[in-house]
Amino acid sequence: MKNFIEIKNLKKTYIVGEQKFNALDGVNLSIEQGEFVVILGPSGAGKSTLLNLLGGMDKATSGSIKIGENDIAKYNDKELTRYRADEVGFIFQFYNIMPTLTVEENVNLIKDVTNTSKKSKEVLKSVGLSRHSNKFPQELSGGEQQRVSIARAIMKNPKILLCDEPTGALDSKTGVDVLKLLKKQADNDTTVIIVTHNSLIADIADRVIKIKNGKVESNIINKQPKKIDEVKW
Amino acid sequence: MLYRKMFRDIRKNLSQFITIFLMIMIGVMAYSGIEAYMSGMKKTSDKFYTENNLQDLNVMGSLNKEDLGKIKDIKNVKDAEGKISLTGLTDNDKTLLINFIESNNISKFYVYDGIGFDQDKSGVWLDNFYAKENKIKVGDTILVKYENVELQEKVLGLINVPDHLYDVRDESELYPDRKEFGFAYLSVNEIKDLNLPYTSIMVDVKDNRNHVKEEIEDNISNALAIINIEDTSSYTAYQGEIDEGKTYVGVFSGLFLFIAMLSVITTMTRVVKKQRVQIGTLKALGFSNNKILFHYIGYGVWISLFASVMGLLLGYFFIGNVFIGLEMTMFEIPNGHPVMNNSSYIVAILVVLVVLLITYITGRTILKENPAETLRNKIPSIKGKALNITKHKIFKKLPFESIWNIRDILRNKMRTVTGIAGVVGCSMLIVCALGMLDSMNFFVDLQFEKLYNFDYKLNIKEDINEKELKILTDRYGNYTSQTLGIEIKTDGVRESNNIFVTDADNYVRFVDNKNKFINKPKDNGIFVTYKLAKNKGYKLGDKVTWHIYGDKKYYKSKIIGFNKDPQNQNITMTRKYLESLGIKYVPDSIYTNNNLKNVKEIKNIESIQDIDALKDGMNEMLSMMKTMLVLIIGIAIILGSIIIYNLGILSYTEKQYQFSTLKVLGFKDSQIKKIFVKQNNWIAIISIIIGLPFGYYLTDWLFKTAIEEHYDFGASITGKTYIISALGTFAISYIVSRFLARKIKNIDMVTSLKGNE
Repeated sequence: MKNFIEIKNLKKTYIVGEQKFNALDGVNLSIEQGEFVVILGPSGAGKSTLLNLLGGMDKATSGSIKIGENDIAKYNDKELTRYRADEVGFIFQFYNIMPTLTVEENVNLIKDVTNTSKKSKEVLKSVGLSRHSNKFPQELSGGEQQRVSIARAIMKNPKILLCDEPTGALDSKTGVDVLKLLKKQADNDTTVIIVTHNSLIADIADRVIKIKNGKVESNIINKQPKKIDEVKW
Repeated sequence: MLYRKMFRDIRKNLSQFITIFLMIMIGVMAYSGIEAYMSGMKKTSDKFYTENNLQDLNVMGSLNKEDLGKIKDIKNVKDAEGKISLTGLTDNDKTLLINFIESNNISKFYVYDGIGFDQDKSGVWLDNFYAKENKIKVGDTILVKYENVELQEKVLGLINVPDHLYDVRDESELYPDRKEFGFAYLSVNEIKDLNLPYTSIMVDVKDNRNHVKEEIEDNISNALAIINIEDTSSYTAYQGEIDEGKTYVGVFSGLFLFIAMLSVITTMTRVVKKQRVQIGTLKALGFSNNKILFHYIGYGVWISLFASVMGLLLGYFFIGNVFIGLEMTMFEIPNGHPVMNNSSYIVAILVVLVVLLITYITGRTILKENPAETLRNKIPSIKGKALNITKHKIFKKLPFESIWNIRDILRNKMRTVTGIAGVVGCSMLIVCALGMLDSMNFFVDLQFEKLYNFDYKLNIKEDINEKELKILTDRYGNYTSQTLGIEIKTDGVRESNNIFVTDADNYVRFVDNKNKFINKPKDNGIFVTYKLAKNKGYKLGDKVTWHIYGDKKYYKSKIIGFNKDPQNQNITMTRKYLESLGIKYVPDSIYTNNNLKNVKEIKNIESIQDIDALKDGMNEMLSMMKTMLVLIIGIAIILGSIIIYNLGILSYTEKQYQFSTLKVLGFKDSQIKKIFVKQNNWIAIISIIIGLPFGYYLTDWLFKTAIEEHYDFGASITGKTYIISALGTFAISYIVSRFLARKIKNIDMVTSLKGNE
């Protein structure tokens, strides 16, 4: 299979006062299209930085990030905005959904930034939220709110789904439900990348990348991923 | 250590603290400044009146030395001095009110330059303002001319006199024209040979003034009128300015302070609430509640204390001095200076206390929770029926940014209400300030274009005989009037007023309270002005009891109509009606449209009033008012901008995390800016819609209650003013919003989203 994401010698340096801090220090890795990838690593390893760079939320200090044929590391602000709007779906630990929009409005929000053929009702049905479409997020449980976030992400039919600790604020059962939804997207050829502390999730991934001190420590293909129902924490 | 934290927190939120500082400073400055100006006006006159011994009574008439002696002998009379006041001319045919005196212990001169009064010295003590306008110095020689007497007098002193704070040639002139008209004092020795009687006696009373008045009335047959000093034009004009100012203090400064404080309270509450997690952390670390409270109270107290002190200083030195300076160009009074009032200190202290209380209450509310709870960010509630309504019907069809903004407003009602109140206040003040000018212009137009339908008013000398009068009326037209000084008696209470007796046909016109022309009164009764009728409770058909000064006979006249007079609240009757009462009509004014442009002097005419010159005088007064109003508008604009900016920052900070989410989702900066600006535009539009009519009512109220009793004009605001005020307010709001929206470009998505976690 052809590599969909190719990262070469990626560096991200933060300057705090007079100190330089290399959050990413020459990362090289490749990911295939439709893979379910888990990135593991301790706090401060650079996982979220990598995710932010992949999502076009931040700019690299050097190196390249090829998504398909395009090197997004070379994109300007305008191009990054377009990239985020058309190609990437984000899922955050704390959902980041608009508190003043109803569930369906949150999902339909995507229509304001990109053309999508998907229908919000169908998307909500696919994540099991049809009953709650007219509710405000605060009226939902944590797991349900995360599903809103997933629905919003998949509404645009993204090529990549980037998830930053998507189960971090959820209990085990709810977390599993969320993972199932994410896996379903990977089965539909969307590349799903999950950043997490939770090594148990790694068991269900197609590929597990471990990051330490801003470098890739290992990049292993999981030949026999576990079924999601077998995972518990 | 906590102090260090406080200073760093302030530095981190510098723009917010600067706006709090500015709002308090401007609010206190406006209040204390206008208060210092008003108190300054009052104290300056009180001091001048006391130190220079302003008289209590003016006895008018043709009085002699014997009368003076009798008055001095009345019990409770401290002192009395006679004065011969004549209207004369000086160089270049300028008008001079010439006063001949024997001594100067009552209404003593304040000498700017030269020497004090000395009866034995030959020379003139001249009106300081007039001298300045005409570049006359001590030692110069000027002409003092009265009828056939021409004196060349050396200027011995430049003076102010307590009963000459405000001198106009006649009551139709509102703004003193110091270049053309001034007063002068000379020793009576200069006209000894003429043997003229005193025209007035100034009386200084110990106490029981009414008793003294009655004594004079009973014993001095030459006394035509005994006038309280409070009823003289100089005194009332100055006092009127103070009374007007008192209302301005209440309205303008109160409004400024109210708007500023509303905004400060909202901001301080948010500032402390934003520190929620830090409060929790401090609590978890073992800091006592009191220590934490003290720390957060410090945030507001230091800023508000510093801002209040600055406000007091700026109010006194800037607003107070500028306003007093403007007044001192109109009134001749020495040493005019602002006076810091106790109420200003109290207001400043109250402001600090309110800020203290707000930080205390907000801090305490957070501290009541347990630390574990406090350490979690509180998610603003989105429950509520109002919010649910927006899920249905037409709301569904609205674009995302509209529905988002509607809900954001519903969710942050207090912030929105404060924003609206702030902008309403500012647009109100702009409408009011511009509207006052409009209304004054309308008044000038009404007075000088509608009511006065002549080009010149000739004031006839008192001692003219019928033959001489006929010569004048033959030449300039027989359109005349007489003004009679009267006392109206209502339920035993006597009050000064005047009757305008018209024989001027269409040269002096009348309007109703809708400013529509009405015919002059018929010959069977009187017109009373609306305002006088309202004050006295007169109704159509009522009878007014009155007598002419100097004549004890009372008359009862039936009210047959009402007229509006913007300048004078009095009674009007026709010549025929006056004569039907058995009173002789002796005209004192002739109205003419003859061209008298180059005529300086007419025999038997005391003064010639050019309607254009009167209008110019009026416009000069308006220009003084304009300067004050420009300052008020300036403060309103600055305060409005700061409030909009401040609330903009608040609203931006609260939305920043949502904006960063939108950015992550791929929204363009321009789309997010549109969302942000849209809400502020709505607030501005709603505020303008509320502010414009309120501005009208404020102006109307000010005119109806604040101005002197003898004026009667309400608000008359042009469409242009509303448009300027609306566009101006919107422009301020829009510019500030666009300025704040620039921040959206620099939102760091990563940091913002993390910050929210």
